Amino acid sequence: MNDKIYFQIIKEDTKMKKITLSIFLMLGIIMSLPQDLPAEKQLTALQILEKVDDVINAPKDQDLKIKLILVDKNGKEKIREMSMLQKGSDKRMVKFLSPANQKGIAFLSLPNDIMYLYLPAFKKVRRIASHVKNTKFAGTDFTYEDIEAIRYLEKYNPELMKKENDSYILQLKPKKEVKTDYSKLVIWIRADNFYPFKIEYYNKNRTLYKIMLREKIEKVNGYWISKESEMEDLKAKHKTKMCIVNVKFDSGILEKQFSKRYLNR
Amino acid sequence: MKVKLFSIIVVYILLCLFSLPVNAQNDNSSDKGIKLGGYLQTDNRLCLEGDNEFSWQEYRLGLKAEAKPLEKARFYSEVWLRSWGFPNVQNISDLKDKNMVSTWNLDLREAYVDFYSFLLDNLDIRIGRQRIAWGTGDKFNPTDNLNPYDLEDIWDFGRHLGSDGFKMSYYPGDFTFTVVYIPLFTPSVLPRGNWASALSPPMELPHGLTLGTLTDTIDLPQKNLKEGSTIGIRVSKNIFDFDFSLSYVHARDQLPLANKITFIPTEKHEEVDIKSQLIYPRMNIAGIDLAGAIGSIGIWAEAALFFPEKIKMITDLSSLVMGIHESVALDNKPYIKYVIGMDYTFKNGIYLNVQYLHGFIHERGAANLEDYFMFGLEWKLLDNKLKITPIAGGIEIKEFKDIKNNYAIIYSPMITYYPFDNAEITFGLRLIDGKDTTSFGRVKDYDELFFSLKYNF
Repeated sequence: MNDKIYFQIIKEDTKMKKITLSIFLMLGIIMSLPQDLPAEKQLTALQILEKVDDVINAPKDQDLKIKLILVDKNGKEKIREMSMLQKGSDKRMVKFLSPANQKGIAFLSLPNDIMYLYLPAFKKVRRIASHVKNTKFAGTDFTYEDIEAIRYLEKYNPELMKKENDSYILQLKPKKEVKTDYSKLVIWIRADNFYPFKIEYYNKNRTLYKIMLREKIEKVNGYWISKESEMEDLKAKHKTKMCIVNVKFDSGILEKQFSKRYLNR
Repeated sequence: MKVKLFSIIVVYILLCLFSLPVNAQNDNSSDKGIKLGGYLQTDNRLCLEGDNEFSWQEYRLGLKAEAKPLEKARFYSEVWLRSWGFPNVQNISDLKDKNMVSTWNLDLREAYVDFYSFLLDNLDIRIGRQRIAWGTGDKFNPTDNLNPYDLEDIWDFGRHLGSDGFKMSYYPGDFTFTVVYIPLFTPSVLPRGNWASALSPPMELPHGLTLGTLTDTIDLPQKNLKEGSTIGIRVSKNIFDFDFSLSYVHARDQLPLANKITFIPTEKHEEVDIKSQLIYPRMNIAGIDLAGAIGSIGIWAEAALFFPEKIKMITDLSSLVMGIHESVALDNKPYIKYVIGMDYTFKNGIYLNVQYLHGFIHERGAANLEDYFMFGLEWKLLDNKLKITPIAGGIEIKEFKDIKNNYAIIYSPMITYYPFDNAEITFGLRLIDGKDTTSFGRVKDYDELFFSLKYNF
């Protein structure tokens, strides 16, 4: 009898333990669910933009060969080829390879809005001021500002406008101390990899005047890159398609290559 | 001339031949072959005064070759092959000389080799005929004193000849040190025709005399290292986001200076022939330049302090029984030439460039430096297919106290059309008005209309 009671007590105790364990397990699962959901919702605009900056500037350096196709409002096309080197997120060197009348033109962008232009005809590296930032770079729809290396968070204050199923939409307004001709940018970001795939550019009159679309977003050597993008000037009805012909990441580009010394090489 | 032409052609053929195997071995790397390119440019100018004759005719084939046979070596050259000027035929025998019927010339503008990271990682050297452009000003550069001027076409101002020399650039940290050595002196090319008078003041004759013929002799510096060489050093650094440079050049004046004038009476009453002798004085030039931005406006400034050699002037009037007089052609007192400029692009795409210049290239001595305000305004339209330059030119002021009698205005509006890639067509005017006391005022009667076409390949 005693044995029976003893075994019953043990049985009940085990059962209690199982129930208690199950309750804790369920509670754990239930508690874990609400913790995950708000975390996704709570990702702030700053955090999203920081992730964007990290993704687009992830490679230590980038060596790109680019083909530009300029399309005017009548559909006529012009081709340009250029090479682009980037180190980190704030140094970029662009050199034109064709056409013949632009071959050798080189542009260097450094931190603190320091920009240099090498024009082969003058045999001279020329410092250029920020007034050129809003002018078109060599006839493309990209301005000098657009082709600068950038960390958005350093220049813009972000605001989360919308979260869609697979993307975030941020509005970026320039910080007070930043010299730019854009009153704001609206940027669409893929939620899965934080790569921006559409950017709307608004001018000082708060009018939308340029749209950039990024396509063929692929992972190359572990880094996300858009192999085709298009910038459209809505007023001029002019487009520039940018195709990455060749890409090398982390090839050990030296810091010194982003200097006046290398502009005319 | 024939030897020079032959040498250049041989060099080009050799380069082309060498490029073939290199290309064949490196099918995947076009960087290692020779890249050939260039342009064809025509330039025709019509005088607006008198019988509206053509004042300039040039057909230029500019050929450029570049090769990077090694990662640390680069070759570059540029040659101009030009049909230039007008038939120079005066008799039947001239008609048998093709060069008199159709003048042409060959000009080796540059031909040099770069060696990067030579001996030291931060050391680059360049050897050969090269253009070394110092200064931050836009075409007006008082500190740019290494290459001789090429003033053949005054409207292509800022053009210099290449110099056969050696340049070494050393890059320790944020600094750039440059040393240039040019062993032999090469004189500047002076403007052709009417423009020669712009850079040389009119000859003043003793009262009552008229000028017969004017001849001159130029004494070039000796072809040795002491007399003919040019040395330049420069250090550059970015400070507070401004690019600063300090430079020093030991050279010769780029334009000749008369140091002896001999008057010789002719058979005509009160007429004299004049023989002048010219030299190139030694100059030491300390320079400073900067470039940067204030707000979004680009600014630059450049100043050169000239320390000239003292040159005496001997005026020999002994043939007129008036003795030999000695005066000073060039004092050894230092003087400063400088330029200050700014540029800005407005929201509508209009580009403005303004410069103030104290002391033009041919002016020497503090008392003889004039003031110039140069300006340009460009507007690109129709997807950059059209560039209108409605305002371009300058104002020369010789004497602020009496501007009315000491000014000249240069006005050169133009329109450039880019019909397709690599092609440009330019059409414009060049108008000058002013007083004869000024340099540009002396060429006020040579207004012209010009048309040029350029195609790059």
